[in-house]
Amino acid sequence: MKLTLDVWRQPDAASPGAFETYVVTDATAEMTLLELLDRLNDQLVEDGREPVAFESDCREGICGCCGVDVDGRPHGPQANTPSCEQHVRSFADGDRVVLEPLRAAAFPVVKDLVVDRSALDRVVQAGGHVAVDAGTAPDADAARIGHETAETALDFAACIGCGACVAACPNGSASLFTGAKLTHLATLPQTRTERGRRAVDMVAQMEHDFGPCSTYGECAVVCPAGIPLSAIAAVGKERMRAFLRGRTG
Amino acid sequence: MAVPTSTRPEPDRVPAVERPSAGPQPQPATWVLKVVMAVTGTVFALFVVVHLVGNLKVFLGPEEFDGYAHWLQRDLLAPLVPHGWFIWIFRSTLLTCLVAHVWAAVVLRHRARVARGPHRRQGLRSFRSFQARSMLVTGVVLLFFVVFHVLDLTTGTRPAATGEFVAGQAYANLVSSFQRPAVAAFYVLAIGTLFLHLAHGLWSVVNDLGATGRRLRAIGAAVAGAVGLLVLVGNLLIPVAVLTGVVA
Ligand code: HEM
Ligand code: SF4
Ligand code: FES
Repeated sequence: MKLTLDVWRQPDAASPGAFETYVVTDATAEMTLLELLDRLNDQLVEDGREPVAFESDCREGICGCCGVDVDGRPHGPQANTPSCEQHVRSFADGDRVVLEPLRAAAFPVVKDLVVDRSALDRVVQAGGHVAVDAGTAPDADAARIGHETAETALDFAACIGCGACVAACPNGSASLFTGAKLTHLATLPQTRTERGRRAVDMVAQMEHDFGPCSTYGECAVVCPAGIPLSAIAAVGKERMRAFLRGRTG
Repeated sequence: MAVPTSTRPEPDRVPAVERPSAGPQPQPATWVLKVVMAVTGTVFALFVVVHLVGNLKVFLGPEEFDGYAHWLQRDLLAPLVPHGWFIWIFRSTLLTCLVAHVWAAVVLRHRARVARGPHRRQGLRSFRSFQARSMLVTGVVLLFFVVFHVLDLTTGTRPAATGEFVAGQAYANLVSSFQRPAVAAFYVLAIGTLFLHLAHGLWSVVNDLGATGRRLRAIGAAVAGAVGLLVLVGNLLIPVAVLTGVVA
């Protein structure tokens, strides 16, 4: 199968980038998107050219580092699927495919398809402090948590921090990401004690780098962890709750 | 060697999170602007629905319609407030909301552009995204319409109003206004625009005001759509009735 790839090449954050066109003639339907890039890089290296930089680690949808924009869509054509689990079978023989880094002002390009997503880490950092001396790990059953509650917390904890929601958003908003973290932590008894302070700090940090939500709903379409759109409502809910309870951070 | 009992800082001395992309926090906070948007938008939505109920009295004939208009202007809330006061309290509230709504909208859209950066999101085809993306455009059309509408049917200022405008004759003014096809067409356009703005706006309200529960969100989505459709169909009946001579 033959694919023409328009790939974004950019040496570093300070230099301008541009598309370069490559042709891969021996792509196969069962290849993943990353394997397609591996194949392209083999060719480039054989020709003595610089391979395309892209990030990958687990290649099974759990580490969150592989996201690239495919034809303007974060991760690729398949909904709720990370780039490492997108397949060439989504394209037809002879197709032209545009590959770019995830786009958002908060995600500067490191090189080619690799972006710096540490703005998301800073949001997590802002919420991550525990104000009590937690001591050793408590017994597993010291605080009893019902099955439903545990499942809800886990559903929102499933976010892998890939940043696709931000890149999918025309506003560059990180509401789905932040809402997932806030919901996950507000649901469990140990982390609930910091609920108000965390909402104030995480939302402030989020607003520092990311845009407002206008309810496009594009984030939930691409999220590989299947975080539901209700997470964006959790941002307003947790922040207003903190305000009404007089929390200032 | 002394082992520190805790290396954790005291809660009140928690170091501020390092912010490499530091700079002043946006003021007012984005979440505050979103609450302003949601509250003022909801006020407009309620107004539009009540306004529709009033409008539909046109089908009951001139006495009913003019009597209702008179009651709004003179007697509503009297004697709680003196005769004629309600309308001014009402108008100043709406005007304040309008200023706040437009201001918050412009600031939010600006922040959104900055946060997105130079590479715009492309290839969005869903109706939801179309509505969301056109909120500023539909809002500006509504703003023009509101100004025109007030000049036409409230103050009777020409050329927005017809030459036959008579203060207090709400029914006759409405009929003569809609007998101008261009005005009827602009009205239909504005109502279509209102549907796009309102149906998406109310869904945004559901989210901005923090409805996370599954059932609440389902109800919210249904109400947003239903209110949008109700306002669309209800208001369209009026120019159609005038142009077909049902209301004359
Ligand atoms: C009858 C008049 C209007 C009604 C019923 C109305 C209603 C609403 C509602 C309910 C929302 C959702 C609020 C939220 O985000 O939670 C909204 C948002 C919005 N409105 Fe209006 N509005 C009206 C007039 C205007 C005008 C005159 C503008 C002018 C510029 C405007 C611009 C916007 C924009 C840009 C948003 C989206 C904000 C965002 O993306 O977060 N609206 N409107
Ligand atoms: S919410 Fe979903 S799309 Fe956003 S960072 Fe987490 S896993 Fe990625
Ligand atoms: S490589 Fe780990 S999620 Fe794709």
